[in-house]
Amino acid sequence: MPLVTVPLFTVTFLAVVRHAGRDDLTAYAVMAPVLIALWQLSLLDSGEIIEADRWQGVLEVVIAAPANVSTVVLGRVFAVTAVAFLAFIEVWFVARALFGVTIEFHHPGLFLLTLAASGLAMSGTAVIMAALFVLARSARTFQNSLSYPFYVLGGVLVPVSFLPDWLEPLSSVVFLSWSADLLRDSLDPAPVSGAAVRLGMVLALGTGGFVIGRLLLRRILNRVRADGTVGYA
Amino acid sequence: MSALATTVNVMHHAFRAGLADYRAIFTWKSWLAGWMVRVIAQVAFFALIGERLGDDQKTFYLLVGNSILIAAVVGVFSLNMTTAERWAGTLPLLVASPSSPVIVFSARGSYLAVDGALSALAALFVAGPMFGMDLPWPRVLAVVPLTAVVALASYCFGTFLAGIVFRFRSINGLVVLTTHVSLMAACGVNVPLSYYPEALEWLSRVLPVTNGLLAIRGVFDGADVATILGNAALEGAVAVGWMTVALATFNQLASRGRRDGSLDYGA
Repeated sequence: MPLVTVPLFTVTFLAVVRHAGRDDLTAYAVMAPVLIALWQLSLLDSGEIIEADRWQGVLEVVIAAPANVSTVVLGRVFAVTAVAFLAFIEVWFVARALFGVTIEFHHPGLFLLTLAASGLAMSGTAVIMAALFVLARSARTFQNSLSYPFYVLGGVLVPVSFLPDWLEPLSSVVFLSWSADLLRDSLDPAPVSGAAVRLGMVLALGTGGFVIGRLLLRRILNRVRADGTVGYA
Repeated sequence: MSALATTVNVMHHAFRAGLADYRAIFTWKSWLAGWMVRVIAQVAFFALIGERLGDDQKTFYLLVGNSILIAAVVGVFSLNMTTAERWAGTLPLLVASPSSPVIVFSARGSYLAVDGALSALAALFVAGPMFGMDLPWPRVLAVVPLTAVVALASYCFGTFLAGIVFRFRSINGLVVLTTHVSLMAACGVNVPLSYYPEALEWLSRVLPVTNGLLAIRGVFDGADVATILGNAALEGAVAVGWMTVALATFNQLASRGRRDGSLDYGA
Protein backbone atom coordinates (compact mmCIF):
# COMPACT_ATOMS: atom_id res chain seq x y z
CA MET A 1 0.00 0.00 0.00
CA PRO A 2 2.71 2.60 0.76
CA LEU A 3 3.81 2.13 -2.84
CA VAL A 4 0.59 3.88 -3.90
CA THR A 5 1.72 7.10 -2.24
CA VAL A 6 5.19 7.11 -3.81
CA PRO A 7 4.16 8.97 -7.00
CA LEU A 8 2.34 11.61 -4.93
CA PHE A 9 5.32 12.15 -2.64
CA THR A 10 7.55 12.35 -5.71
CA VAL A 11 5.33 15.01 -7.30
CA THR A 12 5.25 16.97 -4.03
CA PHE A 13 9.00 16.96 -3.42
CA LEU A 14 9.97 17.58 -7.04
CA ALA A 15 7.42 20.40 -7.27
CA VAL A 16 8.92 22.11 -4.21
CA VAL A 17 12.54 22.03 -5.37
CA ARG A 18 11.80 22.85 -9.00
CA HIS A 19 9.36 25.63 -8.14
CA ALA A 20 12.19 27.14 -6.08
CA GLY A 21 14.48 26.86 -9.10
CA ARG A 22 16.78 24.46 -7.26
CA ASP A 23 17.25 21.72 -9.84
CA ASP A 24 20.49 20.86 -8.04
CA LEU A 25 18.37 19.34 -5.25
CA THR A 26 16.60 16.90 -7.56
CA ALA A 27 18.54 13.96 -6.08
CA TYR A 28 17.12 14.86 -2.66
CA ALA A 29 13.58 14.98 -4.02
CA VAL A 30 13.75 11.63 -5.81
CA MET A 31 15.46 9.61 -3.08
CA ALA A 32 13.13 10.72 -0.27
CA PRO A 33 10.01 8.85 -1.54
CA VAL A 34 12.05 5.65 -1.90
CA LEU A 35 13.26 5.86 1.69
CA ILE A 36 9.79 6.74 2.94
CA ALA A 37 8.31 3.69 1.17
CA LEU A 38 11.08 1.50 2.57
CA TRP A 39 10.43 2.75 6.10
CA GLN A 40 6.65 2.50 5.91
CA LEU A 41 6.56 -0.96 4.39
CA SER A 42 9.19 -2.46 6.63
CA LEU A 43 8.48 -0.90 9.93
CA LEU A 44 4.75 -0.44 9.83
CA ASP A 45 3.58 -3.41 7.76
CA SER A 46 6.28 -5.92 8.70
CA GLY A 47 6.23 -4.73 12.29
CA GLU A 48 2.85 -6.37 12.65
CA ILE A 49 4.01 -9.86 11.68
CA ILE A 50 4.01 -11.44 15.15
CA GLU A 51 0.80 -9.73 16.17
CA ALA A 52 -0.89 -10.84 12.92
CA ASP A 53 0.30 -14.43 13.45
CA ARG A 54 -1.21 -14.29 16.89
CA TRP A 55 -4.57 -13.07 15.60
CA GLN A 56 -4.60 -15.76 12.92
CA GLY A 57 -3.74 -18.47 15.42
CA VAL A 58 -0.53 -19.60 13.72
CA LEU A 59 1.98 -18.26 16.25
CA GLU A 60 1.87 -21.56 18.18
CA VAL A 61 3.03 -23.42 15.08
CA VAL A 62 5.74 -20.86 14.35
CA ILE A 63 7.08 -21.18 17.90
CA ALA A 64 6.92 -24.97 17.84
CA ALA A 65 8.92 -25.19 14.61
CA PRO A 66 12.64 -25.98 14.98
CA ALA A 67 13.73 -22.78 13.19
CA ASN A 68 14.58 -19.71 15.24
CA VAL A 69 11.56 -17.38 15.34
CA SER A 70 13.53 -14.17 14.97
CA THR A 71 15.32 -15.53 11.91
CA VAL A 72 11.97 -16.48 10.39
CA VAL A 73 10.62 -13.00 11.15
CA LEU A 74 13.72 -11.39 9.64
CA GLY A 75 13.28 -13.39 6.44
CA ARG A 76 9.61 -12.48 6.17
CA VAL A 77 10.34 -8.83 6.84
CA PHE A 78 13.07 -8.83 4.22
CA ALA A 79 10.63 -10.21 1.64
CA VAL A 80 8.33 -7.24 2.25
CA THR A 81 11.27 -4.84 2.29
CA ALA A 82 12.40 -6.11 -1.11
CA VAL A 83 9.03 -5.05 -2.54
CA ALA A 84 9.74 -1.50 -1.38
CA PHE A 85 12.49 -1.23 -3.97
CA LEU A 86 9.76 -1.06 -6.61
CA ALA A 87 9.34 2.47 -5.28
CA PHE A 88 12.47 3.46 -7.12
CA ILE A 89 10.94 2.41 -10.45
CA GLU A 90 7.86 4.48 -9.65
CA VAL A 91 9.99 7.51 -8.77
CA TRP A 92 12.04 7.11 -11.94
CA PHE A 93 8.86 6.97 -14.05
CA VAL A 94 7.10 9.92 -12.38
CA ALA A 95 10.22 12.08 -12.49
CA ARG A 96 10.65 11.33 -16.16
CA ALA A 97 7.00 11.52 -17.27
CA LEU A 98 5.82 14.54 -15.28
CA PHE A 99 8.96 16.61 -14.78
CA GLY A 100 11.21 15.47 -17.62
CA VAL A 101 13.86 14.58 -15.05
CA THR A 102 16.31 11.81 -15.85
CA ILE A 103 17.96 10.27 -12.81
CA GLU A 104 21.66 9.76 -13.49
CA PHE A 105 23.65 7.21 -11.52
CA HIS A 106 27.18 8.50 -11.23
CA HIS A 107 28.13 5.71 -8.82
CA PRO A 108 25.80 2.83 -9.74
CA GLY A 109 27.72 0.19 -7.79
CA LEU A 110 27.57 2.23 -4.61
CA PHE A 111 23.90 3.00 -5.24
CA LEU A 112 22.99 -0.69 -5.47
CA LEU A 113 25.13 -1.63 -2.48
CA THR A 114 23.53 1.12 -0.40
CA LEU A 115 20.04 0.02 -1.39
CA ALA A 116 20.85 -3.57 -0.44
CA ALA A 117 22.44 -2.52 2.86
CA SER A 118 19.47 -0.25 3.62
CA GLY A 119 17.07 -3.11 2.96
CA LEU A 120 18.97 -5.35 5.36
CA ALA A 121 19.22 -2.63 7.99
CA MET A 122 15.53 -1.85 7.66
CA SER A 123 14.60 -5.49 8.07
CA GLY A 124 16.77 -5.77 11.19
CA THR A 125 15.17 -2.66 12.65
CA ALA A 126 11.66 -3.91 11.81
CA VAL A 127 12.20 -6.93 14.07
CA ILE A 128 12.28 -4.50 17.02
CA MET A 129 8.86 -3.20 16.06
CA ALA A 130 7.48 -6.69 15.52
CA ALA A 131 8.45 -7.41 19.11
CA LEU A 132 7.35 -4.10 20.61
CA PHE A 133 3.86 -4.24 19.12
CA VAL A 134 3.27 -7.46 21.02
CA LEU A 135 5.15 -6.49 24.19
CA ALA A 136 3.41 -3.20 24.85
CA ARG A 137 -0.18 -2.43 23.92
CA SER A 138 0.66 1.26 24.06
CA ALA A 139 3.31 0.75 21.37
CA ARG A 140 0.53 0.56 18.81
CA THR A 141 -0.62 4.02 19.80
CA PHE A 142 2.81 5.23 18.80
CA GLN A 143 2.85 3.27 15.54
CA ASN A 144 1.43 6.20 13.65
CA SER A 145 4.07 8.44 15.21
CA LEU A 146 7.03 6.48 13.92
CA SER A 147 7.07 8.18 10.55
CA TYR A 148 7.99 11.86 10.39
CA PRO A 149 10.19 12.00 13.50
CA PHE A 150 12.40 9.38 11.84
CA TYR A 151 12.22 11.09 8.45
CA VAL A 152 13.60 14.20 10.13
CA LEU A 153 16.23 12.37 12.20
CA GLY A 154 17.13 10.19 9.21
CA GLY A 155 17.72 13.17 6.94
CA VAL A 156 15.40 11.55 4.41
CA LEU A 157 14.94 14.80 2.49
CA VAL A 158 17.08 17.38 4.24
CA PRO A 159 20.56 16.42 5.48
CA VAL A 160 20.97 16.14 9.22
CA SER A 161 23.46 19.00 9.14
CA PHE A 162 20.40 21.28 8.92
CA LEU A 163 19.08 19.97 12.23
CA PRO A 164 19.88 21.65 15.55
CA ASP A 165 23.27 20.53 16.91
CA TRP A 166 21.69 18.71 19.84
CA LEU A 167 19.75 16.43 17.48
CA GLU A 168 22.72 15.36 15.36
CA PRO A 169 24.08 12.71 17.79
CA LEU A 170 20.61 11.17 17.89
CA SER A 171 20.35 11.07 14.10
CA SER A 172 23.74 9.37 13.82
CA VAL A 173 22.28 6.22 15.41
CA VAL A 174 19.40 6.19 12.91
CA PHE A 175 20.68 4.15 9.98
CA LEU A 176 18.46 6.11 7.59
CA SER A 177 20.71 9.14 7.98
CA TRP A 178 23.70 7.16 6.67
CA SER A 179 21.61 5.55 3.89
CA ALA A 180 20.08 8.81 2.74
CA ASP A 181 23.44 10.59 2.49
CA LEU A 182 25.03 7.69 0.63
CA LEU A 183 22.15 7.33 -1.82
CA ARG A 184 22.24 11.04 -2.62
CA ASP A 185 26.03 10.98 -2.97
CA SER A 186 25.79 8.06 -5.39
CA LEU A 187 23.73 10.28 -7.72
CA ASP A 188 26.27 13.09 -7.49
CA PRO A 189 29.19 13.27 -9.94
CA ALA A 190 31.65 14.16 -7.16
CA PRO A 191 33.76 11.33 -5.69
CA VAL A 192 32.18 9.73 -2.62
CA SER A 193 34.38 9.84 0.45
CA GLY A 194 34.45 7.08 3.07
CA ALA A 195 31.88 4.97 1.26
CA ALA A 196 33.02 1.68 2.84
CA VAL A 197 32.86 3.04 6.38
CA ARG A 198 29.47 4.61 5.78
CA LEU A 199 28.10 1.39 4.28
CA GLY A 200 29.51 -0.43 7.30
CA MET A 201 27.61 1.95 9.59
CA VAL A 202 24.33 1.18 7.80
CA LEU A 203 24.92 -2.54 8.23
CA ALA A 204 26.15 -2.19 11.82
CA LEU A 205 23.10 -0.18 12.88
CA GLY A 206 20.81 -2.65 11.12
CA THR A 207 22.54 -5.56 12.85
CA GLY A 208 22.20 -3.74 16.16
CA GLY A 209 18.48 -3.39 15.49
CA PHE A 210 18.16 -7.08 14.75
CA VAL A 211 20.04 -8.07 17.93
CA ILE A 212 17.79 -5.85 20.06
CA GLY A 213 14.70 -7.16 18.25
CA ARG A 214 15.81 -10.73 18.78
CA LEU A 215 16.30 -10.20 22.52
CA LEU A 216 12.91 -8.51 22.80
CA LEU A 217 11.26 -11.26 20.80
CA ARG A 218 12.75 -13.95 23.03
CA ARG A 219 11.47 -12.15 26.10
CA ILE A 220 8.01 -11.78 24.61
CA LEU A 221 7.76 -15.38 23.52
CA ASN A 222 8.86 -16.54 26.96
CA ARG A 223 6.19 -14.37 28.50
CA VAL A 224 3.31 -15.52 26.26
CA ARG A 225 4.40 -19.14 26.71
CA ALA A 226 4.46 -18.73 30.49
CA ASP A 227 1.06 -17.09 30.79
CA GLY A 228 -0.59 -19.24 28.12
CA THR A 229 -1.46 -16.40 25.76
CA VAL A 230 0.42 -17.46 22.65
CA GLY A 231 -2.93 -17.47 20.87
CA TYR A 232 -5.92 -15.26 21.58
CA ALA A 233 -8.38 -18.13 21.62
CA MET B 1 -40.10 12.48 21.14
CA SER B 2 -40.11 14.46 17.88
CA ALA B 3 -37.98 13.38 14.92
CA LEU B 4 -35.60 16.27 15.52
CA ALA B 5 -35.25 15.50 19.21
CA THR B 6 -34.62 11.84 18.36
CA THR B 7 -31.91 12.78 15.87
CA VAL B 8 -30.24 15.11 18.37
CA ASN B 9 -30.39 12.39 21.00
CA VAL B 10 -28.76 9.87 18.63
CA MET B 11 -26.06 12.39 17.70
CA HIS B 12 -25.40 13.17 21.34
CA HIS B 13 -24.87 9.51 22.23
CA ALA B 14 -22.83 8.89 19.07
CA PHE B 15 -20.58 11.84 19.94
CA ARG B 16 -20.06 10.47 23.44
CA ALA B 17 -19.22 7.06 21.98
CA GLY B 18 -16.67 8.77 19.72
CA LEU B 19 -15.09 10.53 22.69
CA ALA B 20 -14.91 7.21 24.53
CA ASP B 21 -13.15 5.71 21.50
CA TYR B 22 -10.66 8.54 21.51
CA ARG B 23 -9.98 8.22 25.23
CA ALA B 24 -9.30 4.51 24.68
CA ILE B 25 -6.73 5.37 22.00
CA PHE B 26 -4.99 8.31 23.64
CA THR B 27 -4.19 9.48 27.11
CA TRP B 28 -2.90 13.03 27.57
CA LYS B 29 0.61 11.64 27.85
CA SER B 30 0.44 9.51 24.71
CA TRP B 31 -1.27 12.34 22.81
CA LEU B 32 1.56 14.71 23.68
CA ALA B 33 4.48 12.28 23.48
CA GLY B 34 3.19 10.35 20.49
CA TRP B 35 0.77 12.28 18.34
CA MET B 36 2.04 15.82 18.91
CA VAL B 37 5.65 14.77 18.41
CA ARG B 38 4.67 13.26 15.08
CA VAL B 39 2.64 16.34 14.08
CA ILE B 40 5.42 18.78 14.89
CA ALA B 41 7.98 16.52 13.19
CA GLN B 42 5.78 16.44 10.09
CA VAL B 43 5.62 20.22 9.93
CA ALA B 44 9.34 20.51 10.70
CA PHE B 45 10.15 17.98 7.97
CA PHE B 46 8.65 20.29 5.35
CA ALA B 47 9.83 23.53 6.94
CA LEU B 48 13.37 22.14 6.83
CA ILE B 49 13.06 21.94 3.03
CA GLY B 50 12.66 25.71 3.09
CA GLU B 51 15.81 25.95 5.22
CA ARG B 52 17.59 23.74 2.70
CA LEU B 53 16.40 26.03 -0.10
CA GLY B 54 17.85 28.92 1.88
CA ASP B 55 14.66 30.97 1.66
CA ASP B 56 12.77 32.08 4.77
CA GLN B 57 9.63 32.85 2.80
CA LYS B 58 9.59 29.28 1.45
CA THR B 59 10.13 27.97 4.97
CA PHE B 60 7.13 29.89 6.27
CA TYR B 61 5.03 28.93 3.25
CA LEU B 62 5.75 25.24 3.84
CA LEU B 63 5.29 25.59 7.58
CA VAL B 64 1.85 27.20 7.34
CA GLY B 65 0.68 24.81 4.60
CA ASN B 66 1.74 21.67 6.39
CA SER B 67 0.42 22.84 9.77
CA ILE B 68 -3.02 23.40 8.32
CA LEU B 69 -2.81 20.09 6.45
CA ILE B 70 -2.81 18.40 9.87
CA ALA B 71 -6.40 19.60 10.37
CA ALA B 72 -7.34 17.90 7.13
CA VAL B 73 -5.47 14.69 7.89
CA VAL B 74 -7.26 14.25 11.21
CA GLY B 75 -10.63 15.33 9.81
CA VAL B 76 -10.42 12.79 7.01
CA PHE B 77 -9.70 10.05 9.59
CA SER B 78 -13.48 9.95 10.03
CA LEU B 79 -13.58 7.60 7.06
CA ASN B 80 -12.10 4.95 9.35
CA MET B 81 -15.32 4.88 11.36
CA THR B 82 -17.08 2.37 9.13
CA THR B 83 -14.06 0.08 9.10
CA ALA B 84 -13.87 0.19 12.90
CA GLU B 85 -17.55 -0.76 13.12
CA ARG B 86 -17.04 -3.54 10.60
CA TRP B 87 -14.12 -4.98 12.60
CA ALA B 88 -16.12 -4.74 15.80
CA GLY B 89 -19.00 -6.62 14.13
CA THR B 90 -21.46 -3.84 14.97
CA LEU B 91 -21.95 -2.52 11.45
CA PRO B 92 -24.91 -4.79 10.56
CA LEU B 93 -26.60 -3.85 13.86
CA LEU B 94 -26.10 -0.19 13.12
CA VAL B 95 -27.57 -0.49 9.63
CA ALA B 96 -30.50 -2.50 10.99
CA SER B 97 -31.28 0.11 13.65
CA PRO B 98 -34.00 2.72 12.99
CA SER B 99 -31.43 5.56 12.97
CA SER B 100 -29.74 6.64 9.80
CA PRO B 101 -26.13 5.37 9.74
CA VAL B 102 -24.84 8.67 8.37
CA ILE B 103 -26.27 10.54 11.38
CA VAL B 104 -24.47 8.17 13.73
CA PHE B 105 -21.18 8.23 11.82
CA SER B 106 -21.15 11.98 11.29
CA ALA B 107 -21.79 12.64 14.99
CA ARG B 108 -19.51 9.91 16.25
CA GLY B 109 -16.53 11.18 14.27
CA SER B 110 -17.09 14.88 14.83
CA TYR B 111 -14.54 14.95 17.65
CA LEU B 112 -11.99 14.46 14.88
CA ALA B 113 -12.76 17.91 13.49
CA VAL B 114 -12.04 19.39 16.93
CA ASP B 115 -8.91 17.30 17.35
CA GLY B 116 -7.75 18.21 13.84
CA ALA B 117 -8.14 21.93 14.43
CA LEU B 118 -6.38 21.75 17.81
CA SER B 119 -3.52 19.65 16.43
CA ALA B 120 -3.04 21.99 13.47
CA LEU B 121 -3.02 25.08 15.65
CA ALA B 122 -0.63 23.49 18.13
CA ALA B 123 1.68 22.58 15.25
CA LEU B 124 1.56 26.12 13.86
CA PHE B 125 2.10 27.87 17.19
CA VAL B 126 4.91 25.52 18.26
CA ALA B 127 6.74 25.02 14.96
CA GLY B 128 6.28 28.65 13.85
CA PRO B 129 8.47 30.19 16.57
CA MET B 130 10.92 27.26 16.24
CA PHE B 131 11.63 28.39 12.69
CA GLY B 132 11.59 32.10 13.51
CA MET B 133 8.22 32.81 11.95
CA ASP B 134 6.42 35.97 12.98
CA LEU B 135 2.89 35.40 14.29
CA PRO B 136 1.38 38.90 14.07
CA TRP B 137 -0.71 39.59 17.15
CA PRO B 138 -3.72 39.97 17.33
CA ARG B 139 -4.23 39.32 13.60
CA VAL B 140 -3.05 35.74 14.03
CA LEU B 141 -6.15 35.02 16.14
CA ALA B 142 -8.13 34.94 12.88
CA VAL B 143 -6.28 31.73 12.03
CA VAL B 144 -8.14 29.90 14.82
CA PRO B 145 -11.67 29.99 13.31
CA LEU B 146 -10.26 29.59 9.80
CA THR B 147 -8.46 26.40 10.84
CA ALA B 148 -11.69 25.17 12.38
CA VAL B 149 -13.44 25.66 9.02
CA VAL B 150 -10.69 23.68 7.25
CA ALA B 151 -11.03 20.88 9.82
CA LEU B 152 -14.80 20.88 9.40
CA ALA B 153 -14.59 20.75 5.59
CA SER B 154 -12.09 17.88 5.79
CA TYR B 155 -14.30 16.05 8.23
CA CYS B 156 -17.29 16.42 5.86
CA PHE B 157 -15.14 15.13 3.01
CA GLY B 158 -14.05 12.21 5.22
CA THR B 159 -17.69 11.41 5.99
CA PHE B 160 -18.41 11.23 2.27
CA LEU B 161 -15.40 8.93 1.80
CA ALA B 162 -16.67 6.79 4.69
CA GLY B 163 -19.73 6.01 2.56
CA ILE B 164 -17.50 4.93 -0.32
CA VAL B 165 -15.44 2.73 2.00
CA PHE B 166 -18.68 1.43 3.48
CA ARG B 167 -19.61 0.04 0.07
CA PHE B 168 -16.21 -0.84 -1.34
CA ARG B 169 -14.37 -2.16 1.70
CA SER B 170 -11.45 -3.56 -0.29
CA ILE B 171 -10.23 -0.04 -1.08
CA ASN B 172 -10.27 1.20 2.51
CA GLY B 173 -6.49 1.21 2.95
CA LEU B 174 -6.00 2.77 -0.44
CA VAL B 175 -8.41 5.62 0.32
CA VAL B 176 -6.87 6.32 3.74
CA LEU B 177 -3.34 6.47 2.40
CA THR B 178 -3.92 8.36 -0.81
CA THR B 179 -6.30 11.01 0.54
CA HIS B 180 -3.72 12.47 2.90
CA VAL B 181 -0.92 12.59 0.33
CA SER B 182 -3.27 13.77 -2.45
CA LEU B 183 -4.39 16.74 -0.37
CA MET B 184 -0.72 17.44 0.37
CA ALA B 185 0.15 17.35 -3.32
CA ALA B 186 -2.82 19.17 -4.83
CA CYS B 187 -4.14 21.79 -2.41
CA GLY B 188 -1.46 24.47 -2.46
CA VAL B 189 0.15 23.13 0.69
CA ASN B 190 3.72 23.08 -0.62
CA VAL B 191 3.64 25.09 -3.85
CA PRO B 192 1.17 27.69 -5.12
CA LEU B 193 -1.82 26.37 -7.08
CA SER B 194 -0.59 28.23 -10.14
CA TYR B 195 2.38 25.84 -10.39
CA TYR B 196 0.10 22.99 -11.48
CA PRO B 197 -2.06 22.72 -14.64
CA GLU B 198 -5.24 24.79 -14.55
CA ALA B 199 -7.50 21.72 -14.46
CA LEU B 200 -5.85 20.54 -11.26
CA GLU B 201 -6.25 23.99 -9.77
CA TRP B 202 -10.01 23.86 -10.41
CA LEU B 203 -10.20 20.38 -8.95
CA SER B 204 -8.32 21.43 -5.85
CA ARG B 205 -10.82 24.25 -5.31
CA VAL B 206 -13.56 21.72 -4.53
CA LEU B 207 -11.35 19.79 -2.14
CA PRO B 208 -11.00 20.71 1.52
CA VAL B 209 -7.93 22.73 2.59
CA THR B 210 -7.35 24.74 -0.62
CA ASN B 211 -9.64 27.71 -0.02
CA GLY B 212 -9.22 27.76 3.76
CA LEU B 213 -5.47 27.68 3.40
CA LEU B 214 -5.60 30.64 1.01
CA ALA B 215 -7.59 32.53 3.65
CA ILE B 216 -5.03 31.67 6.32
CA ARG B 217 -2.12 32.66 4.10
CA GLY B 218 -4.03 35.91 3.54
CA VAL B 219 -4.01 36.53 7.30
CA PHE B 220 -0.21 36.18 7.43
CA ASP B 221 0.32 38.17 4.22
CA GLY B 222 -1.86 41.07 5.37
CA ALA B 223 -4.56 40.55 2.73
CA ASP B 224 -7.75 42.59 2.98
CA VAL B 225 -10.60 41.22 5.05
CA ALA B 226 -12.90 40.73 2.04
CA THR B 227 -10.39 38.42 0.36
CA ILE B 228 -9.91 36.40 3.53
CA LEU B 229 -13.62 36.11 4.17
CA GLY B 230 -14.25 35.20 0.52
CA ASN B 231 -11.85 32.27 0.69
CA ALA B 232 -13.22 31.25 4.09
CA ALA B 233 -16.75 31.28 2.64
CA LEU B 234 -15.59 29.06 -0.22
CA GLU B 235 -14.10 26.60 2.28
CA GLY B 236 -17.41 26.65 4.16
CA ALA B 237 -19.24 25.97 0.89
CA VAL B 238 -16.93 23.02 0.24
CA ALA B 239 -17.82 21.68 3.71
CA VAL B 240 -21.56 22.03 3.05
CA GLY B 241 -21.16 20.51 -0.41
CA TRP B 242 -19.36 17.39 0.78
CA MET B 243 -21.72 16.86 3.69
CA THR B 244 -24.67 17.18 1.31
CA VAL B 245 -23.14 14.58 -0.99
CA ALA B 246 -22.45 12.36 2.04
CA LEU B 247 -26.06 12.63 3.23
CA ALA B 248 -27.35 11.91 -0.26
CA THR B 249 -25.21 8.85 -0.91
CA PHE B 250 -24.34 7.26 2.42
CA ASN B 251 -27.65 5.53 3.15
CA GLN B 252 -27.94 4.26 -0.43
CA LEU B 253 -24.47 2.76 -0.24
CA ALA B 254 -25.34 1.17 3.11
CA SER B 255 -28.56 -0.27 1.69
CA ARG B 256 -26.66 -1.92 -1.13
CA GLY B 257 -24.36 -3.50 1.44
CA ARG B 258 -27.42 -4.82 3.24
CA ARG B 259 -28.81 -6.27 0.01
CA ASP B 260 -25.67 -8.12 -1.03
CA GLY B 261 -24.65 -9.13 2.51
CA SER B 262 -21.26 -7.42 2.42
CA LEU B 263 -21.60 -5.49 5.66
CA ASP B 264 -19.33 -7.61 7.78
CA TYR B 265 -16.16 -9.62 7.31
CA GLY B 266 -17.98 -12.88 7.75
CA ALA B 267 -19.92 -12.26 4.56
